[in-house]
Amino acid sequence: MGLNYQLVLWNKNKKVYDRFILLFVLLYLLLFWGITLITNSNTSLETLTIRSSGTLAILLLHIILSIGPLARINKKFLPLLYNRRHLGVSMFLIALIHGGFSIFQFHMLGDVNPIYSVFTSNLDYSSLHDFPFQVLGFLALLILFAMAATSHDFWLANLSAKTWKTLHMLVYVAYALIVSHVFLGAFQQETSPYMPVLMGIGFVVLVILHISAGIKEVKKDKQTYEASDEDWKYVCEIDEIEEDRAKIFIVDHERIAIFKYENKLSAIHNVCKHQGGPLGEGKIIDGCITCPWHGYQYLPQNGQSPPPFTEKVATYYVKIEDKKVYVLPKPLDEGTEVSPAIIES
Amino acid sequence: MKKDEFYIGYINQIPSKIKRKLKFTVWILVLVVIVFAVVFSFFQNKFKNSTFELTNVSEITGTFHSKPYPSVRIELSPNDYKNVLLLGFGKFGPDKDIENMESRLNSIEGKEVSIKGNLIYYNGKTLLQIADSEKFPVMKKESQLPERKINSLGEIEIEGEVIDPKCYFGVMKPGFGKIHRSCAVRCISGGIPPVFTTRSKEGNSEYFMITDSKGNKINHDILEYVGQPVKVKGALEQLDNWFILKLNVEDIELLKGNSKIYSN
Ligand code: HEM
Ligand code: FES
Repeated sequence: MGLNYQLVLWNKNKKVYDRFILLFVLLYLLLFWGITLITNSNTSLETLTIRSSGTLAILLLHIILSIGPLARINKKFLPLLYNRRHLGVSMFLIALIHGGFSIFQFHMLGDVNPIYSVFTSNLDYSSLHDFPFQVLGFLALLILFAMAATSHDFWLANLSAKTWKTLHMLVYVAYALIVSHVFLGAFQQETSPYMPVLMGIGFVVLVILHISAGIKEVKKDKQTYEASDEDWKYVCEIDEIEEDRAKIFIVDHERIAIFKYENKLSAIHNVCKHQGGPLGEGKIIDGCITCPWHGYQYLPQNGQSPPPFTEKVATYYVKIEDKKVYVLPKPLDEGTEVSPAIIES
Repeated sequence: MKKDEFYIGYINQIPSKIKRKLKFTVWILVLVVIVFAVVFSFFQNKFKNSTFELTNVSEITGTFHSKPYPSVRIELSPNDYKNVLLLGFGKFGPDKDIENMESRLNSIEGKEVSIKGNLIYYNGKTLLQIADSEKFPVMKKESQLPERKINSLGEIEIEGEVIDPKCYFGVMKPGFGKIHRSCAVRCISGGIPPVFTTRSKEGNSEYFMITDSKGNKINHDILEYVGQPVKVKGALEQLDNWFILKLNVEDIELLKGNSKIYSN
């Protein structure tokens, strides 16, 4: 696999996205600091920093975790997915300020190493009520760090998509750790019910979004066809595929996308080499299949990214008989040239 | 036929329907940001007006005593004395600084000295984080004050929390409870005197320096009880503006639930 991670470069939409991230962060901090200084002016700068960054990080985490399912439920949300990694890295940096300041404030300038102190200053590991909640935040921060550090496509290319994806699924572990961190920590002492209620709503919204997205995904699979041997399989009528778009079929547990363009049909493996985006939900743009997630492109007739890029996906044989579309389920080697099936009008 | 919209991140033109959806999303997010910010800031517990003069060095003059914990005794008005507890830098007690002073001036026990440092004060108690112990004080004098009187007030049993006074009377907000517990452990472990605080029904807090039953300082032995609601019992004494509580660590009882000072 080549080093074609340059494909996703800085561009106007990313800049707009980043500007919105900055705007939201500033709005949050302004409100938090302003309201605290006005209503509770005996606070300290350290506490303001720790609390505003901690709560902002968990707000951003909720937004980040919502984007995936939202984009699956409604494709119009895909632009939010496009630059999610910048949101992720921003969230990590803000969490780092929170964790860093907490470690400085509560553990530095003392008689033992501050990290050692995080783990040992409270040893009630067997008690829920008195649990050393800072340890949970620390572990979550390590996960967020690993994710932020490997978020660049360079790592995606070098870690293999599967390892990378597993690593990034750890975000759910981080979320669980952080929720426990807050409920076993600050909420034991900050006794206003509104904060836990807000966190509860956040949790419920996330669960609902994930379940709805899951149901949608399962339904999508039901619409497709099962086939498992090496005979030609009938999949659909030509008219069922829209121009410059594809339909996705499951064959042998693999998804195949059949594209229709310029009176031709071509079939390729549905999984984008970048981050596994669904190519069959993409569109043919300038003669190339374009991934809906980050816009990686492939030529329909051979599954190869146009030069200078070197990504390749598997291709399949398709044929048309009597306006009916058939596919041969056996995948060809990645990047194999296949003559498109011609649609006779 | 309806327009087949498709968003590609690196192509600048965003299709109009998608753009409308995004605008709507942005407004929802603005709302969410406002709700989170308001809830997390407005509903914080009230902070105390405790003060740590971090950037301001003061000088206090009075009689030094090392027991039960190093302090300087000053006269506020005739027959009204106040003990200012001495502290080191960071999460340390004053031992290192007092060593510095005594290596220059020999023993300063019971002598009048002028010590520089940063003041910490809240609710009638004052503490001093010693500064520049390598140079100050430059001299010691005979004490101008009468002998200290320590009054015995009998046995008591009370509920409250063991805190580290540097943070509690100073800049940590909050400087007590679960949030602050590990910091208080660090401070007391580093030699800062453990202080017991309670809150009466009338809302007045009382403060007690804690020693072992013989009146010696305790630090490491009490760590596991710091920052949690506890019930303590022991012999109560009064030294000017401070109570002293002499106790056996084994008699400390951990209570579950919030300590009364959380209502602060
Ligand atoms: C080294 C890692 C961490 C440490 C030492 C740490 C420490 C703390 C401490 C001491 C508090 C109580 C502060 C107070 O209420 O005054 C706190 C609260 C909180 N933490 Fe963390 N934390 C860490 C990581 C994280 C991470 C990664 C997140 C989320 C992304 C997070 C989110 C929060 C939230 C939302 C609160 C409650 C609100 C607040 O009081 O600030 N923490 N943390
Ligand atoms: S372009 Fe990123 S997954 Fe396809």
